[in-house]
Amino acid sequence: MLSGRTLSTRAASLLLTLWLVSVLVFLAGQVLPGDVGRVMLGPFADAQAVAALNKQLGADQPLLVQYWRWFSAALTGDFGTSLSMRAPVAPFVLQSLGRSAALAGIILLFLVPAGVGAGIVAGLNQGRLADRLIVLTGISFGIVPDFVSGLLLLMVFGLWLNWFPITGAAPDGAGFWTSGYYLILPALPLVLNLTGYLARMTRAGVVEALAADYTRTATLKGLDRSQVILRHVLPNALTPTIAVLATQSGYMLGGLVVIEALFGIQGLGNLVLNAAKSRDFPMLEAGVLVMATIFVLSAAAGDLIQALLDPRQRRRASL
Amino acid sequence: MTKRTDIDALRNLSGDIWNVAVDEYAQGFLRRRDLLKYAALIGLTGFAASQGLSFSGTARAAAGGGTVRVGLGQPTKAIDPVTLTDPASIGVISQVGEYLILDDPKDGLQPKLAVSWEADETAKRWTFKLRPGVKFHDGRTVTAKDVVASFERLVDPNSGSSALSAYKGILSKGGAKVVDDETVAFDLDQSNSNFPFYVSSDVYNAVILPADYAGDFEKTFNGTGPFKLESFRPKQGASFVRNPDYWGDKSLPDRVEIKFFDDEQAQVVALQAGQLDVIPSTTRLELAIDGNPNFKLLTVQASSHDPVHLRTDQPPFTDKRIRRALALTLDREAIVKGLLKGRAVVGNDSPFAPIFPSADPSVPQRKQDIAEAKRLLAEAGVPNGFEVTLTTERAYDIPDYAVIIQNFAKKAGIDIKLNVLPQDAYYGSATFGSSPWLDSNLGITDFGHRGTPDIFLNATLKSTGAWNAAHFKNPDYDTLLVDYGKARDLQAQRLAAGKIQALLLDETPEIISYFSQYTRISSTKVEGVRFTAISHLLLDRVTFVQA
Amino acid sequence: MMDLLEFPAPARASSILRLAGRLGRAIRGLPLSVIVGSLILLFWIACALFGDRLVPFDPYGEDFLATLAPPDATHWFGTDQLGRDIFSRIIVGSRDILLVAPLATLGGVASGTIIGLVLGYFDGLVDAVGARLLDTLMAFPFIVLVTMTLVALGPSNVTVILVIAIAYAPLVARTVRAAVREQREREYVSAARLGGENAFAIMVLEILPNIRETILIELVTRLGYAFFSIATLSFLGLGIQPPSADWGLAVADGYGFLTGGKWWGVVFNSAAIVSLVMATNLIAQGVGAFENVDR
Repeated sequence: MLSGRTLSTRAASLLLTLWLVSVLVFLAGQVLPGDVGRVMLGPFADAQAVAALNKQLGADQPLLVQYWRWFSAALTGDFGTSLSMRAPVAPFVLQSLGRSAALAGIILLFLVPAGVGAGIVAGLNQGRLADRLIVLTGISFGIVPDFVSGLLLLMVFGLWLNWFPITGAAPDGAGFWTSGYYLILPALPLVLNLTGYLARMTRAGVVEALAADYTRTATLKGLDRSQVILRHVLPNALTPTIAVLATQSGYMLGGLVVIEALFGIQGLGNLVLNAAKSRDFPMLEAGVLVMATIFVLSAAAGDLIQALLDPRQRRRASL
Repeated sequence: MTKRTDIDALRNLSGDIWNVAVDEYAQGFLRRRDLLKYAALIGLTGFAASQGLSFSGTARAAAGGGTVRVGLGQPTKAIDPVTLTDPASIGVISQVGEYLILDDPKDGLQPKLAVSWEADETAKRWTFKLRPGVKFHDGRTVTAKDVVASFERLVDPNSGSSALSAYKGILSKGGAKVVDDETVAFDLDQSNSNFPFYVSSDVYNAVILPADYAGDFEKTFNGTGPFKLESFRPKQGASFVRNPDYWGDKSLPDRVEIKFFDDEQAQVVALQAGQLDVIPSTTRLELAIDGNPNFKLLTVQASSHDPVHLRTDQPPFTDKRIRRALALTLDREAIVKGLLKGRAVVGNDSPFAPIFPSADPSVPQRKQDIAEAKRLLAEAGVPNGFEVTLTTERAYDIPDYAVIIQNFAKKAGIDIKLNVLPQDAYYGSATFGSSPWLDSNLGITDFGHRGTPDIFLNATLKSTGAWNAAHFKNPDYDTLLVDYGKARDLQAQRLAAGKIQALLLDETPEIISYFSQYTRISSTKVEGVRFTAISHLLLDRVTFVQA
Repeated sequence: MMDLLEFPAPARASSILRLAGRLGRAIRGLPLSVIVGSLILLFWIACALFGDRLVPFDPYGEDFLATLAPPDATHWFGTDQLGRDIFSRIIVGSRDILLVAPLATLGGVASGTIIGLVLGYFDGLVDAVGARLLDTLMAFPFIVLVTMTLVALGPSNVTVILVIAIAYAPLVARTVRAAVREQREREYVSAARLGGENAFAIMVLEILPNIRETILIELVTRLGYAFFSIATLSFLGLGIQPPSADWGLAVADGYGFLTGGKWWGVVFNSAAIVSLVMATNLIAQGVGAFENVDR
C-alpha cells in the first residue's frame, strides 16, 4: 500500500505536474499582450522609456530565455526578483502564503464542525424535517456569492454592530488569538458557502454507512445505537469529508481574491492576480507554483488518506 | 484695484508681455486672480505674494499635533519618483518630496524649492533661483547639482522615466545646467512660455532628489518635504513624522499614517468606522457619505476629461459631418448632472477646459440638436444611420458614460455596440497596431488633470502625436498649434486657442463633453487638507477641529 | 402514441383529457423539490423568451431624474445608477445567463466526458500523461486562467462559455474516468473485446450508455455551479458586456453603492441568481444527484 515504489512514483508525478504548471505559466506569458515596462509606466509613457525600463529589468529578452533563466535559478532555490516590486520574490510569496494559510485555518476551524455536524444530523434523520431543512439551508447559503455576503457581513457585523474589526489584517505584533479574531469575519463568507456542501457530502456518507451490511450486523449484534454510530457510521462518513477538504484547500489558499481584497489581507490569491496583471513573470511563476504544489499535495494526501481508511474504495478514488 | 494710478504701477513691474496682460485686466477681460497667477508664471512671485496670493497656505496659529490618517489605493509597483504613475504612489511621495514649483489648484504657481524664475526674450532659456538652506532628510543641503541631476534623470531615454513623453520636444538631455550653487538654467529645445509648469508638480515625477539617487526610494524616502519617513510596509502602508528641519512652516500635525486599500468598499467602511480622516473619492463613494454630517466632500475643478475619439481615417467616421452628427446627439448638461452629479463643467469638444486662462470663452458651446444630426447624416449619405462598435475600458464611470452615449446616438439612428475591456487590455501595448485604444473606430479614454492643455493638444491631436487615437492629420491644425506654442502673451495665446477651438468644433476628431472635478472625502473633524487634481496630498496644514 | 387523426372528433377531445390525466399523474409522482425547481426554471425561461414584451419600463432606457431611487409603487425594485428600472432589467436579464450557462456546462461536460472516456479506458502512457495534464489544469489558479483567456479573446459570451467549459472539463473528466474504470472490469466489456469491437466502439456504444446516470448528474450539478460562476465572472468584469441586464453585471454595478445604503440593486439581482441556482439544485436533488456521491 505505502510501498516505496508507490511513494516515489507519486513524488515523480508530482514534480512532473509542477513542471507542467510552470510551463503553462510561461505559455500564458506568450499569450498575454503587453510587457512589464509598459504596465509599470502606463499607457501614456514614451515608448523609449518603456524599452529602457524593460531592458533594465531584463524583460526585453525573449520569454523563452527569461523562462530558462528563471527555471535554472529556481532549481537552486533562487526564485528571483519581482519586476514591479524590485525586491526578492520569495519573502512576498512566503508571507502571503502565511496569511492565506491563517485564513484557511480559521475557515476550517468553523467549517469542519459545522459541516460535519450538520451532515451527521441530516444523515441520521434522513427524510425527516431536520434533514430537509439542513440540506435546503446549506444549498441557500452555498449560492450567495462571497463578494456579496462578504460586504454585507462587513457592513452589518463590522460597521454597524461593531462586533468584529473591519479588516482582516491585525496590527503589527498582534498575538495568536488577536490575529485569529481579525480573521473571523473574512472567514465567514466561505464558511457559509461550503458548510452546505460539506454537510451534503457527510450526509451521503452517513446514509451509505447506515445502509451498509456492517452496520446492520452491528445493530443485530445488539450494539446500542450510539455505539453503532460512533464506531461504524462516523469513520465511513468522514471519507467524503476528507475528499472535499482536499479539493477545496487549493481553492481556499489561492482563490479567495475578492475576500482578500475586501478585508485587506495580502494573501496568495491577491498576489498571483496582481502578478498576472502586472506581467511580473518571476512573481507569477513563484506564486502559481506554490498554489499548484499545495493543490497537488493536498489532493494526493486526500487520496492517500481515503485509501488508508477504505481499501475497498481505493481503486475508485485513485488518480 | 482699477484706479488709474494702480494700473500704472502694475505696468512698471515688467516688460511688454506683462503689459499685455495688464491691458486685458484693465479692460475687464482678465480677472484679478488670473492676473496674479500670470504674474507668478512669468516670475513676478514677489509681487503676486504681496497681493495676497498666499504662498504657504493659510497658516493658522491653531493647535498643532495629532496624526492624520489617510486611506489610499494600492501602489501598483515599487514607489519611485522616476517611474511614478499611479495616484496612490503620488499621494505617498507628496509627504516627503517637493518640486521647484507647486501648481496649486486655487492659487496657481507657488515657489517651493525655486524662489524666482525668468525667461530670456526668446523664452528658450529659463533661469531659476533656488531657495537657499534647504536640506534633504539625510541632512545634506540641496544645490543646483541635485536639481540638474533630477531633471537629467527624467529626460534620459535610458532611465525608464515615465516623464520622458512629458518633456519630448521641450527639454532634452544636457538642457539643464548649473549656473552656480543656487541657480539653474534650462536651455529648451524650442520656445515655451509655459515652461514653469513643466518643472512644477504638474509633472509629478519632477521631485527634487539628491544627485546620487540610485533608484531605491523605498529604502529612505529621502526628500525635502515637511514630513519624513517613520516606517514603510510594502502593500500595507506607511507612516511619516514631522520634519523638524523643514525650510518652511513646520507641519502642524505630528504624524501622517497612510494605509493602502485593495478595495474601495473597504476604504469607505474604514472611513465610516472613523478609522480614516481622508480618502480619495468617486461618484459612487460620494453616495456612501451623502447626507452624513460626519463627512464632507472636498472638490477642485480640474481639466481631467474622458475624450471620445472618432477615427478620421476610415469608415464610418471619415466624413466630418458624420462626426459632428454624433457629437450633436449628446445632451451635455444632462450628462454632467445625471452621470457626474454636477461634479463637472460642460466641454466643447476641445482640450481647452474653462479653467485654462488661454481658453477662448467666446467660441459657441455645442448643444444637443437631434434634427441637425439627422440632417448631417442624410447629407453625408447615411440618412438611416449606421452601426459602429465603441471600445473602451472598465474604469470609473466610463462604462456608464458609454451606455449613455449609446442611448443618445440611437436617437439619430446610430447603432453603437459596446466592447468594454479591462483597463490594461484596452491600452494594450500603447502603440499603433497593437492597442484597442489607438486602433478602434470609436473609443473613450480617460485623461487626468494637467496645468496646461499643451500635452493634450500635442499628443492627442497633432498629426505625429503618440496618443492620436483619432488618427487626426490636419495640416491647418498643426500650423495653428505652432502659432499657439509661439504665442508669448495671454492675448496671443487666446487668439490662437480660439482658432484651434473653432477648427476642432468643425472637424470633431474627438468629443469632450465634460471636464470633471477632482474630489476627496474627509471627516468633518479635520481642516486644512489640500490636494491637487493630480493626486498630490498636502497635509502639513491640517488641524483637528475641537468638537 | 395514438394517431389522433384517426378518431372521430368527440373521441379526440376525450383522448386529450386522458393525456392530460396521464401527465398530471406523472407530475404528482415527482418529488416536490423537482416540481418547485422546475416551476422556477420555467418562470425564468418564460421571462427570457417573452419578458421584453411584458416589462413595465424600457430596461435600457436611462432616466436621469430617478437615479438610485429606492423601491416604491412605480419602481417595484427601485432604479439603478442610470435610472433604469431594476424590476424590468431583472426580467430581461434572465436571457444572457440562461443562454450562456447551459452552453458552458454542456461544453464542459461534453469535453470532460470525452476525456474521461479515453483516460478511463486506456491504461499506460495515455492515462499517465493525460492525468498529469488534467492535474496541471486543475492546479492552475482559476482566476489567472480567466484573466488570460479574457485578455487573449476579449470579453464576450463566447469567452465566458469557453472559460467555464475549460474549468469544468477536468472535474467532469475525473468523475467519468473513475466511472469508466469501474465499468471496464465488467463482463460486457470483455465480451465486446472478444467479439472484436474496436476501442472507439466499446467506449461509445458499450460503456457510455452505462454511465449515463453519472453524466446526467454531473450535468445538472455543474449547471448550478455554472450560474454561480458566471455571476462571479460578470462581477469581476470578465464576461457579459454592458448594457446587458445580466444579473451578475448588475450586482457588480450596484456593489459600489452598498456602503451608501443603496441596497436594492445588489439584493434583488443576487436573489434572482440565488433562485436560479436553487431551482437547479432542487431538480438535481430530486433526481438523486446527491445520493450517490462517489468522489
